Amino acid sequence: MTTETLSETAAAAPKFSIRTVLHNAGIGLALLALIVFFSLFTEHFLTPNNITNILTQITINLVLAVGMTFVILIGGIDLSVGSVMAFAAVVAGKAITLPGFGPAEAIALAVVAATLTGVFCGFLNGAISAYWSLPSFIITLGMLNIARGAALQVSEAQTIYSFPFAFEEFGSAMIYGVPVVFLVALVLVFIAWFVLNFTVFGRLIYGIGNNEEAVRLAGHSVARYKIAAFTICGLTAGIAAVVYMARLNISSPIAGIGFELNAIAAVIIGGTSLSGGRGSVIGTLLGAFIIGVLANGLILIGLSDFMRQMITGVVIIVAVILDYYRAKYAAK
Amino acid sequence: MKLLKIAVAAATGLALLGGTALADDKPVVGLIMKSLANEFFQNMMVGAEEHQKRRGDYELKAVGMQNETDFESQINAVENFITQGVDAIVVAPADSRAMVRPLKKAMEAGIVVVNFDVALDEEAKKQQGVELAFVGPDNRGGAKLAGDALGKKLGEGGNVVIIEGNPGADNATQRRLGFEDSVAEYKLDLLDSRTAHWETEEANQVFATMLTAHPDIQGVMAANDSMAIGVVKALESAGRTDIEVVGFDNIPAVGPMIEDGRMLATVDQFGTDMAANAIDMALDVVSTGEQLQGWVKTPIELVTAK
Amino acid sequence: MAAASLAAAPAAAPDRAFLTVEGLKKHFGGVKALDGVSFSLDEGEVHALVGENGAGKSTLIKILSGVFPYDAGQIVLAGEAYRPLSPHDAKDHGVQVVHQEFNLLEHLTIAENISIEQLPKNSFGLLDRKEMNRRARKALDAIGLTDVDVTAPVRSLGIAHRQLVEIARALQSKSRILILDEPTATLTERETKRLFDIVAGIKADGVTVVFVSHHLDEVFAICDRVTVFRNGKTIATDLISETTPEGVVQRMVGRKLAAEQEEHPDRHALGESALRLENLVTAANPGSTGVSLDLRYGEIVGISGLVGAGRTEILRGIFGIDPPQSGKIFRDGAEVRFKGPRDAIAAGIGFVTEDRKDEGLILGMPIAANISLANMGSVSRSGLLKLAEETRQAVASAARLTLKYGRTSDPASSLSGGNQQKVVLAKWLARNPKVLLLDEPTRGVDVGAKAEIYAILKDLAREGVALLVVSSEMPELMTLADRILVLAEHEIQGEVKRPDFSEENILKLAYGQTPGAGENDK
Repeated sequence: MTTETLSETAAAAPKFSIRTVLHNAGIGLALLALIVFFSLFTEHFLTPNNITNILTQITINLVLAVGMTFVILIGGIDLSVGSVMAFAAVVAGKAITLPGFGPAEAIALAVVAATLTGVFCGFLNGAISAYWSLPSFIITLGMLNIARGAALQVSEAQTIYSFPFAFEEFGSAMIYGVPVVFLVALVLVFIAWFVLNFTVFGRLIYGIGNNEEAVRLAGHSVARYKIAAFTICGLTAGIAAVVYMARLNISSPIAGIGFELNAIAAVIIGGTSLSGGRGSVIGTLLGAFIIGVLANGLILIGLSDFMRQMITGVVIIVAVILDYYRAKYAAK
Repeated sequence: MKLLKIAVAAATGLALLGGTALADDKPVVGLIMKSLANEFFQNMMVGAEEHQKRRGDYELKAVGMQNETDFESQINAVENFITQGVDAIVVAPADSRAMVRPLKKAMEAGIVVVNFDVALDEEAKKQQGVELAFVGPDNRGGAKLAGDALGKKLGEGGNVVIIEGNPGADNATQRRLGFEDSVAEYKLDLLDSRTAHWETEEANQVFATMLTAHPDIQGVMAANDSMAIGVVKALESAGRTDIEVVGFDNIPAVGPMIEDGRMLATVDQFGTDMAANAIDMALDVVSTGEQLQGWVKTPIELVTAK
Repeated sequence: MAAASLAAAPAAAPDRAFLTVEGLKKHFGGVKALDGVSFSLDEGEVHALVGENGAGKSTLIKILSGVFPYDAGQIVLAGEAYRPLSPHDAKDHGVQVVHQEFNLLEHLTIAENISIEQLPKNSFGLLDRKEMNRRARKALDAIGLTDVDVTAPVRSLGIAHRQLVEIARALQSKSRILILDEPTATLTERETKRLFDIVAGIKADGVTVVFVSHHLDEVFAICDRVTVFRNGKTIATDLISETTPEGVVQRMVGRKLAAEQEEHPDRHALGESALRLENLVTAANPGSTGVSLDLRYGEIVGISGLVGAGRTEILRGIFGIDPPQSGKIFRDGAEVRFKGPRDAIAAGIGFVTEDRKDEGLILGMPIAANISLANMGSVSRSGLLKLAEETRQAVASAARLTLKYGRTSDPASSLSGGNQQKVVLAKWLARNPKVLLLDEPTRGVDVGAKAEIYAILKDLAREGVALLVVSSEMPELMTLADRILVLAEHEIQGEVKRPDFSEENILKLAYGQTPGAGENDK
């Protein structure tokens, strides 16, 4: 027995590569295939400008999808992120246009307002579904309406505009052609990756998604972790609101309609299981890229809007089918 | 979604019930609006309420809807108004075909019906045997005003793209046709035409990509101002100042953009007054009994930098 | 025992071979699950398959029942090559399996579950509920479940009853071969005896029964022949009349079973009271006087009783899962109130649950993560995981419990049942609990691992840990416990001390003093 256990650290290295590479590469290979395809069949796809465009275009979805990954990992779903983002943007828009503040204070105020609004909505989602053990699907469907209504109410259905110039600058700033807002999203991905893999919190998020009862019986407060996951999702909706405002320099109460579905799609395409417990935020990053590259490439290739929508739908289904086989292979 | 509709219908019904208790000699006008989440209709609604206060000689009952495609709640509203026996129904139909039958029922019940904002479908009206005038702006003509402004600026052979509204929506279709009229008239070169569902962020993304595919774009026609804002932002990110943008609606947020030249023009259809004007006409019909005929066009105006 | 007569029945003659398996092989990825399996079944015999967990019995059953295809070898059923394409196909060939894992639809009624494969229709083509319930009633009566309402949903049943409903369902359809995969793992002695009567009946009808069990006494009670598996191979097939339990075990483990099942654990002095219950009543355990017991350090107390008597519920009440409605819990002599498992764990209590799949383990997660689950504090600093420390601890406790595994990063699901159970133990031992509650600690565990687990538990007691063990297996309690409390109707009926240990004494308390318990002995 001792020989078996001693050899374990040595044996860990080689097997690790084959399976995990296959597991994670599946989605990466699909992305690569898309990139190669569009590079071959369109003239402008691989130009620096277009790459910058794609990075900008996936940023909001990526930010939302990072938070969504936490929620889906615990076996939940958050349908409210698009509406919460609009609500946070409107509240922040009201804050940033308050008279009597310098640009720096106004921006700080807006960022705080947006994130707090997001955190508040996310906390409510989590607390209500955890306390009464209700399916998050229906609670967040309620929040979808509440936040949308609140956004319209607060803004009186008017687009809020004229923000400080510095804010707009941040939204369009680049470092070597990489949009700063995308770097912000990338930092979020990294933080989420670290938290999920190297903290007790992340471990228990996976644990709850796999077997809530076992985690509860091991003495952990499952409700607290569930609330935390939804709160993180709300926080990312708040951050997405800041990105939205910085990029477009407006706050629209009708922003973000349907964004929750794109975020969910990115997470699922990225290989996270809808029933929870399995997946990674790196997959989510790749999933967001696939959606973004597809949206961009299909326009470049000159496909009509309707065909584009159909193909996006097909890709979502194919990704999930591939994931089914990936999981099946990994199980053997 | 079904739940939502039921909730809306229930809420609508309750609101209307509350109204019937009022016994007053003043004529009652039922106003049926589209989505109040849309800034344009929100402003129109406010305009109608102010108009009612100003005139004071009629009673106003207004109903909105949840979103652009929720015409079921509009049908319910018509039926409720018939039950209550209002004197006039002023309606901005969400669907130019679906609304014909319920409105016919209202007319048969002796209610004056005024159709504004979007015209009911001619074909459907013929089928149902309905004679009904339309009071509203010429979306197609308005879009052509904006398109012409762009065409004049660019001259023959200019490269343009269109950012459309929701596919299938009547005003989106009309505006697209208007833009296409200008394209034909000024012999512009239409490179691409895509929807951004009336939304700023989507317009921003879609246009940024179109610009990559067609770096030689010279002009953009956006079917509303929200999308025009997204286009302007994409141009700023790309560092392009040589491309002209026209929009539609004249919402406050585009004011500064037209002033400083980031946008060439937009079209004001005086939405704030549109419902109020339609109510005036409805009340005229109620008092004189003289029916409206054909298409009563409401004013539209091209807005450019002074 | 009624079943004793079965063992005496003459062994089937070789020329009656009804199903022959030759050189069967099956691998999953690089793992050889079956590596040369050969044996035969005679018509109308009861044939035992035994072997340690992971020896290949389950894989073989899944192949016979059409869940997996096989890679090499051949199967001949009634003179024709047999290669079932799906479980449905296997059923059409008359091969029925009652699985270890339940295949019941929890939200449907018992009657619906029993008839699910062939729902009766009335003349309008609609579901004939009356006929369906009548058939279900008949099926349940046939296996002696007269006290169960067929219109109750399956989720209202305990595990033992679900098992019997599964058997009733399998017996509904025409079977030529009925495979029972560890059918007695969750049954009490009485229910087991009932099952043996049923098996005798099926056999009399000419059906071949394949009986998979870890309980050699059962194998010797009802089977005609026994085939032993080890490491994916069949070692030998013996006539029961010509072998002994000792001989079978030797074939299974390939070595002589040590004196692990010694009759008397070495006596050691008991300490102070570790855990005391005073008239504890919970919603799930609504006895009128509640449960009272006193558990001392270094002591192993067994709790026996029929399924449904409220044994698990006592443990759940102590651990804070079902909050007490009345009564008191004392820990080290001081009264405590646990609001949840968290408080109980903080008070030095561990709970090895009955259901590994749903409560004990996170099957999809690594072994190391499962071991550290209740003890995250020792593998982290300010919320950050110390992964190397976690692996080190996992390797150490795996060595302590002689866990057979690949790497600590493998999912828990990669382990056999016995080793999974060791991981559950390791999870709680990582906290060095003062009091350990165990619910069916060796359910679905093979003979070898069972003995190892017993040794571990006895060591714990010697080190001063107080253990409270719930088990349906009386030999298990008699091996482990210093004294056995017998439960019926949610109340403790009495206590049997070690010198008085006998199945008879325990059963007397479990049945005798509870007239009108709704169970009519046949």
